[in-house]
Amino acid sequence: VAAGFLMSGGGGNDVQWCFSQVKGAIDDDVAEADIISTVEFNHSGELLATGDKGGRVVIFQQEIENKSQQQCRSEYNVYSTFQSHEPEFDYLKSLEIEEKINKIRWLPQKNAAQFLLSTNDKTIKLWKISERDKRPEGYNLKEEDGRYRDAATITTLQVPVFRPMDLMVEASPRRVFANGHTYHINSISVNSDNETYLSADDLRINMWHLEITDRSFNIVDIKPANMEELTEVITAAEFHPHQCNTFVYSSSKGTIRLCDMRASALCDKHSKLFEEPEDPSNRSFFSEIISSISDVKFSHNGRYMMTRDYLSVKIWDLNMENRPVETYQVHEYLRSKLCSLYENDCIFDKFECCWNGNDSVVMTGSYNNFFRMLDRSQRRDVTLEASRESCKPRQVLKPRRVCAGGKRKKDEISVDSLDFNKKILHTAWHPQENIIAVATTNNLYIFQEKVN
Amino acid sequence: MDVEAKRIMALSISKLYSLRTQRGGLKLHRSLLLSMTMRAARDIYHTAQLLRDAEEEQVVPCAPDAAPEEPMEISKDSPQTLTPKEVAMKPQETVEEDKENRCASERHSRKRRGKTALETDFLPLKKAKMETDEEKQHLQGEVLRTNNGNSCRQAETLTAFPTNRTIVAC
Repeated sequence: VAAGFLMSGGGGNDVQWCFSQVKGAIDDDVAEADIISTVEFNHSGELLATGDKGGRVVIFQQEIENKSQQQCRSEYNVYSTFQSHEPEFDYLKSLEIEEKINKIRWLPQKNAAQFLLSTNDKTIKLWKISERDKRPEGYNLKEEDGRYRDAATITTLQVPVFRPMDLMVEASPRRVFANGHTYHINSISVNSDNETYLSADDLRINMWHLEITDRSFNIVDIKPANMEELTEVITAAEFHPHQCNTFVYSSSKGTIRLCDMRASALCDKHSKLFEEPEDPSNRSFFSEIISSISDVKFSHNGRYMMTRDYLSVKIWDLNMENRPVETYQVHEYLRSKLCSLYENDCIFDKFECCWNGNDSVVMTGSYNNFFRMLDRSQRRDVTLEASRESCKPRQVLKPRRVCAGGKRKKDEISVDSLDFNKKILHTAWHPQENIIAVATTNNLYIFQEKVN
Repeated sequence: MDVEAKRIMALSISKLYSLRTQRGGLKLHRSLLLSMTMRAARDIYHTAQLLRDAEEEQVVPCAPDAAPEEPMEISKDSPQTLTPKEVAMKPQETVEEDKENRCASERHSRKRRGKTALETDFLPLKKAKMETDEEKQHLQGEVLRTNNGNSCRQAETLTAFPTNRTIVAC
């Protein structure tokens, strides 16, 4: 039982979650540019980055009150904001390229500066975020404001010195990896070698070196010779957390392929194919759509991977290809509503999923601003809500229940009352602590484990 | 069942058309899922139509040519139209099945000119269907086939990689 004194990453249901902070406008009228499109903690959990539809990146930094006490509250405050991508126009194809940030991935920290990769549909950028807290003063030839002094007035010589200044956080683009993708980029993943990373679009996966922007290696290509024979696309890809030769990619047909780059340069032939036979009793017009995998994530220990499709989360053991070891229903009550969800396009929503620090609990989002915590060790699950109504400091989140049919109990919400415009697609879990970031349409909620 | 199929077919087609005007270029994944759903619905709808025709033909036996053909075509058709319901495990199988389905519908559309006219009630007007060069570029990668029998064989537009090379491993 993980609750108590240690801020460990375990115990999903023994943990009581309470509200910590919410970022973003309270306004119900959401500006499209403010829609959050990705959320990611860095490797230490000290920094939390969000990307939005307007191409901006906002980084929050954890500031810990009462460092001396073990049970401490931490707050995330804005650290840096910058415009990562701008809208572009491809003149050859007469197509607009959206500035929306699809993914952010942090590089492990090597020196004082922080680095992250951010990508839109076509271009990946490496950003350096560095702090400046001192500046040189006392130049001989320049005034403090930069104007050059009249040489005739200079009678003494001094050595400029560094003096403290107000902290300034600067973000500068260090690399731009452009023109590598014909189709829309859906994933980026930094390799454990800290030198290379992969980027995946609908049909191809490229491997880049972080220092080299004018070329990339194509490692997967599933484009058929005749596009009319296209039957599946790549939906997500990730490098193994420890084995720098291994990566996985998921498809719209519900399969995951594990590839070993040592086997061949072009990894069109997989080393392992993970696929679960479909349950014929569940077949419908929409079976294809709901089996499409929207996210794939390796566990921190590298032994498992998790996939998210429209209705479920599956945990796979890398040593077993024919079926997942665990399957969790996220919102099974939607299975009878698939036709309506097809009409309003919600069936195409791409939900992400994430692991906690010690791989004992997984989390994913749903509708009505609900999100689900699935405890693997205790085989229990809970539904929580990110709402402005539960925003009192340290207010404990109450479990929510959806009534699928029949008599609705008190405190339950019926399926037809769910707000399908309020969807939680992006969530992130602090790598070590029980701190989670949950993105609603335009707000970022931060919840923490209740400390007594 | 076929009412539902027809509705889903119409819905899919209108969604596919609206994809072309969306910002950010054609979304390949979405258009693939839409066209798969549309095809599955279309196959169900066609099967239902043929079954209805068969019933009508048997009731009115004064078309001797058609009657013996009908049962044969239906029996040929049923295994093919069952395939969207069956699990397609391997991409290669799916490709062949799709080809069979496409051929079947093409065959029928040629034989039953009267029937294809019925389908146009939920398709956009012919004027709207005429493609400009711009739209042809948008169609790159789209798998929707039109019903007039002409395949949309789009020449792939060249993507300029001025300063960049993606090295394809052999």
